[in-house]
Amino acid sequence: MRIKEHPILEFERGKKIQFTFNGNVIEAYEGETIAAALHAAGIWHYNNSDVLKRPRGLFCAIGHCSSCLMTVDGVPNTRICVTDAVDGMVVKSENRGDAK
Amino acid sequence: MILEYDAAIIGGGPAGICAAIAAGKNGLKTLLIEERDFLGGQLIKQTHRFFGSEEEHAGTRGIHIADDLKAELVGLSNIDVMTSTTALGYYEDGILTALHDEKMVKIKPKSMVLATGAFERFLPFENNDLPGIFGAGAVQTLMNIYGIKPADKVLMIGSGNIGLIVSYQLIQAGVQVIGVVEAASKIGGYLVHASKLRRLGVPIMTRHTIKKAIGTDKVQGALLCQLDENWQEIEGSQKQVACDAICLAVGLTPLADILSQMGCETTFIGELGGIVPKRTADLETTKPGVFVAGDLAGIEEASAAMLEGELAGLNAVKFVTGDERVNERIHHLKGELHGLRAGPVGEKIRYGLAQLFEDSVITSEKIDSHEHDITQLAHTGIPAWENIDEKMPDEQRMIKPYAVIECFQEIPCNPCVFSCPFDAIYIPKEDINLSPVVNFDKCTGCLSCISGCPGLAIFVEQRNPEQGKGTVSIPFEMLNRPQKGDVVDLLARDGHKLGTGIVTRILYGQKQDKTAVITVETDIELVNKVRNIQLQGTDKKGVM
Amino acid sequence: MREDDIIICRCEDVTLGTIRELIRQGYTTLEEIKRIARCGMGPCQGKTCTPLIAREIAAITGKDIHEIMKQNHRPPFGGITFEEIVSGRDEE
Repeated sequence: MRIKEHPILEFERGKKIQFTFNGNVIEAYEGETIAAALHAAGIWHYNNSDVLKRPRGLFCAIGHCSSCLMTVDGVPNTRICVTDAVDGMVVKSENRGDAK
Repeated sequence: MILEYDAAIIGGGPAGICAAIAAGKNGLKTLLIEERDFLGGQLIKQTHRFFGSEEEHAGTRGIHIADDLKAELVGLSNIDVMTSTTALGYYEDGILTALHDEKMVKIKPKSMVLATGAFERFLPFENNDLPGIFGAGAVQTLMNIYGIKPADKVLMIGSGNIGLIVSYQLIQAGVQVIGVVEAASKIGGYLVHASKLRRLGVPIMTRHTIKKAIGTDKVQGALLCQLDENWQEIEGSQKQVACDAICLAVGLTPLADILSQMGCETTFIGELGGIVPKRTADLETTKPGVFVAGDLAGIEEASAAMLEGELAGLNAVKFVTGDERVNERIHHLKGELHGLRAGPVGEKIRYGLAQLFEDSVITSEKIDSHEHDITQLAHTGIPAWENIDEKMPDEQRMIKPYAVIECFQEIPCNPCVFSCPFDAIYIPKEDINLSPVVNFDKCTGCLSCISGCPGLAIFVEQRNPEQGKGTVSIPFEMLNRPQKGDVVDLLARDGHKLGTGIVTRILYGQKQDKTAVITVETDIELVNKVRNIQLQGTDKKGVM
Repeated sequence: MREDDIIICRCEDVTLGTIRELIRQGYTTLEEIKRIARCGMGPCQGKTCTPLIAREIAAITGKDIHEIMKQNHRPPFGGITFEEIVSGRDEE
């Protein structure tokens, strides 16, 4: 959910755009990261972990922890917490363990 | 092609920007490298006013400090800024490689300042990887940069400054904080931050820890338990709470991998956050011309990071040009840093630094707060009545407005002194760590000091014994701001409802910078008890 | 406490149970544990797990944490594609 009113901050949102996540259309604003847009859409469960198949989601949001890796426009292992959403982007979960 | 520079600064947070400005201002051809596509690092998430010295940005919100620093940086033409650029490695021939614009670039700098910052620690407990468990920085990024509500009901783990500040910011973003859990027996962060949360009704549970996150593919709750003196679980103390997110604020570790690879000697110092570079008091590592600053040099407040950044930048200038004219400023900055670290809250950092500099002036000596016994405050976030009484004028003086500064812990901070137009607030011995004192002969109760206090710890009271009434003015920076004439709920220091009062005055102008000063009239016996207000029907307390 | 539900290394899915078992088997350095369990070799390059593993080694073996935390780092610190490395060479 996006914050509409805040006592200290004002949020200037960019142009409204759309991308797909595992085939579902997600609305975003230009300047938002993919992770921010997914969070606003209520999507917290990103993938299942490689070995133990445990559900994982956003953790550090600054590109350090690697929990948010996804395939973005065909590029695997993209850190969606530091990658801006772009109109028409195709984002897919990685369940890398399945390929092993 | 190899890009040549006098100074390469790695990291565009508060320390790195200050280093770049110092180097650029003194004529060095400077390159600033930042991993993200924006400068400012963690500063741009900090909506609270900074503690520290008035001359070093204290009393200003972090987001505004970031804007000021960026403006200064842009004005210097000899600084090149590369954002979206990741430093990749440093090689024996003095070549730094970085990934920029999908290409690997090579840089040859004459000097370097490393200011890569820190990353958040993780905590072992059952299901600690469940979606909905976020680092505190992630929560801040979502709500303060992107304006996205991180969750509805959050459990905060850790009562250091980050845990306390992020809890407060969550409430500002409309999120319910069900409580703050702290394994130690005392609250870790500044106690004024803890008091801010308590008066919003948020419980702080010291000597507690999280055992388990509950939920299958998303957090639905948490299992907590109480700890004994030896950090062991007390049997039968388990307690289950409902929440949809768990926020970890259990400390930071310097992002030091670049250091050891570069051949800078490192050492493990727990008090400084983990592996830190060996370095001199001038922030030079064991590799000549390579300096460090900010959290990478040891975890500390952003105010120290900015001072260290400038200090490292100036030393880079001296290294490259041999210019001795920077010495005066270097000496000054060291003095400022020393001052920030001189009080009781600087003990940990002093102890850590003493392990780095064998023959330094820095002492790890324990400095106890002699001013007040703040045991109750440190355990609960609520000051003892004896503490409060010390801050009050005598009874006759109470018929005219007077400021009550509920700042009991010795922390390095002084904006209140500068906010008073009547010179009524002073800090004894001009020691920035001592708590401020009001001279009630000079104080007019003008309300000027309230909104500028980073701890929101100043209140103005007035009592009218004949009518049995009184007023209290409080700082307010939440949504649902009351209007003049509203009947509001009056809340005590622990957030419980005391009664109702009428809003008689609101200050909310440029000077207050979104920290409204709200005056309410109420019964005389409540005047010294009311520390928060809320519009009736907007109750959103912690529930634990 | 269910050690197998406590994750130490998020990238490579290594649990506290595995780490403790390895330490008991005699693997008492970060380097050894890394080579066997892969923790620290994932995309985050050991940022989250290293301090936790070091603490476990110290707790079980009584080793000094200063000794445990001595380790080498090699570039690159972040992920880089071969394409990106090669495209940098074009400029020379």
